[in-house]
Amino acid sequence: MDRLKTLMDWFDVRLGVREILRSNLQGYLLPRHVNIWYSLGAVLLALFTLQFLSGILLLVYYLPAADKAFVSVERIMNAVPYGWLIRTLHMVGSNIIVAVLLLHLLSVLFMGAYKKPRELTWLSGFGLFNLSLILCLTGYLLPWSQLSFWATTVATDAAGAVPWIGEGLVTFLRGSPSVGAGTLGRFFALHVVAFPLLFLGLVGFHLFCVRRAGISVPPFGPSARPAGVGTTFQHEVHRDGIPFFPNYTVKELAVVMFVLAGLVAITVFAPALFLPPDALEPADPFTTPDHIKPEWYFLWAYQTLKIFPSKLMGLAAQGGAMTLLALLPFLDRGEERRPFHRPLFLTLYGLGILLLLGLSIWGHRS
Amino acid sequence: MDTGRQGPSERRLFLLSMLAGVGALLGAIAVWPLYRYLAPQGGGGTTEQVAIPLSDVPLGAARFFDYHGRPAVLVQVQAGEYVALSAVCTHLGCIVKWVGEKRHFLCPCHGGQFAPTGAVLAGPPPQPLASYRVIVQSGKLLVG
Repeated sequence: MDRLKTLMDWFDVRLGVREILRSNLQGYLLPRHVNIWYSLGAVLLALFTLQFLSGILLLVYYLPAADKAFVSVERIMNAVPYGWLIRTLHMVGSNIIVAVLLLHLLSVLFMGAYKKPRELTWLSGFGLFNLSLILCLTGYLLPWSQLSFWATTVATDAAGAVPWIGEGLVTFLRGSPSVGAGTLGRFFALHVVAFPLLFLGLVGFHLFCVRRAGISVPPFGPSARPAGVGTTFQHEVHRDGIPFFPNYTVKELAVVMFVLAGLVAITVFAPALFLPPDALEPADPFTTPDHIKPEWYFLWAYQTLKIFPSKLMGLAAQGGAMTLLALLPFLDRGEERRPFHRPLFLTLYGLGILLLLGLSIWGHRS
Repeated sequence: MDTGRQGPSERRLFLLSMLAGVGALLGAIAVWPLYRYLAPQGGGGTTEQVAIPLSDVPLGAARFFDYHGRPAVLVQVQAGEYVALSAVCTHLGCIVKWVGEKRHFLCPCHGGQFAPTGAVLAGPPPQPLASYRVIVQSGKLLVG
């Protein structure tokens, strides 16, 4: 313990570490009634860290070439010791991340935490949500199975609906007129280098926004009032709050462990949950499997494209909905954050969730 | 009189020790699959013979091949007399080249020279090239 103290003293003299730790851990106070939904950011950080680590490990054996990719994934699953564990954790982890991202987004919406002065936190978070979906899409092709090949064919084909440049855009995305070795090369580079770098930068900015603006008070209970936001910058302080460490960290850690337990449980007891039979066949560019469907989190988009008479209208509807969501803090500018004092928002919120669920179920059954 | 009650510092120490123990256990559980995943597989320890067609090794020529994950070379030094050697220079691990006209091996890294039998002729290599057993069977050379 004395050595640790000496080492700490050494750093403290040079960098003032104790002051940094104090102001960001014990001295950083959070609202007293902070609830479980506030932990989802920490859960996502833990899950993304796991994705980065398992992704790096998969790179040790994965071969990004059209004639070798499927065999290399088969080898990871069947021949490399614990390869199945690393790959299944990566695959199940990506699905759980999307589910937690959705919960995080919905909770922020419900509690009105996107409102002024947190517009930039919302925008960066929404960017991270979309980037995560793109990471899922680019990673989906890499095993080079029938499922990944044809799901990517359908997904990239949607870009063809853009007027005038559609066909060129599809060819550019794929690196060739149809999905092939060129697509694998560029999706691999995007999935393992370009998007993760962009992602790290955006996460850094998101966390900076969270820390700088301060944690918002949950808009529940008799004492909850609309937040009065001034015209100058003000960090939201909570003088009667609870310390971030250890009080809140312990709660966060419990939620993180709960989600990780779920991830491990699916990985061990239901590893085939996200592995339909088409994912076990190597890609065949001349045979489209019957009833090819995207992953569950893209089913709503898949069904939207099907119900509109033209692909362009379907794409425009999706783009419109996403733009509306991204710009929400600039459209919904009232200071009221209590959900039950915002009946119009609450109605649209409920209908939006029902629409998303309905389209997804319809897409799954159609 | 000792009441057997523990003070807050003892309780804290106990909890920290328990936490450290559980953490160490979980860490070990996570590290073992990681080690097994990254540990080299196959290649080492196998005793299977490697078969090379006789026609691949004409008189005075060398044939390089993979011997259980390591580069090796076969030479027909005299009519019907074959030698199998490791192709890894004993100096710093570069792969030796066969110089047909001079009938010796040359290491391109630091100029070490080896006889067709593997013995050191010149240069810094401290030991001869490792040799393997070769037998001729049914038109094939079996190494190992």
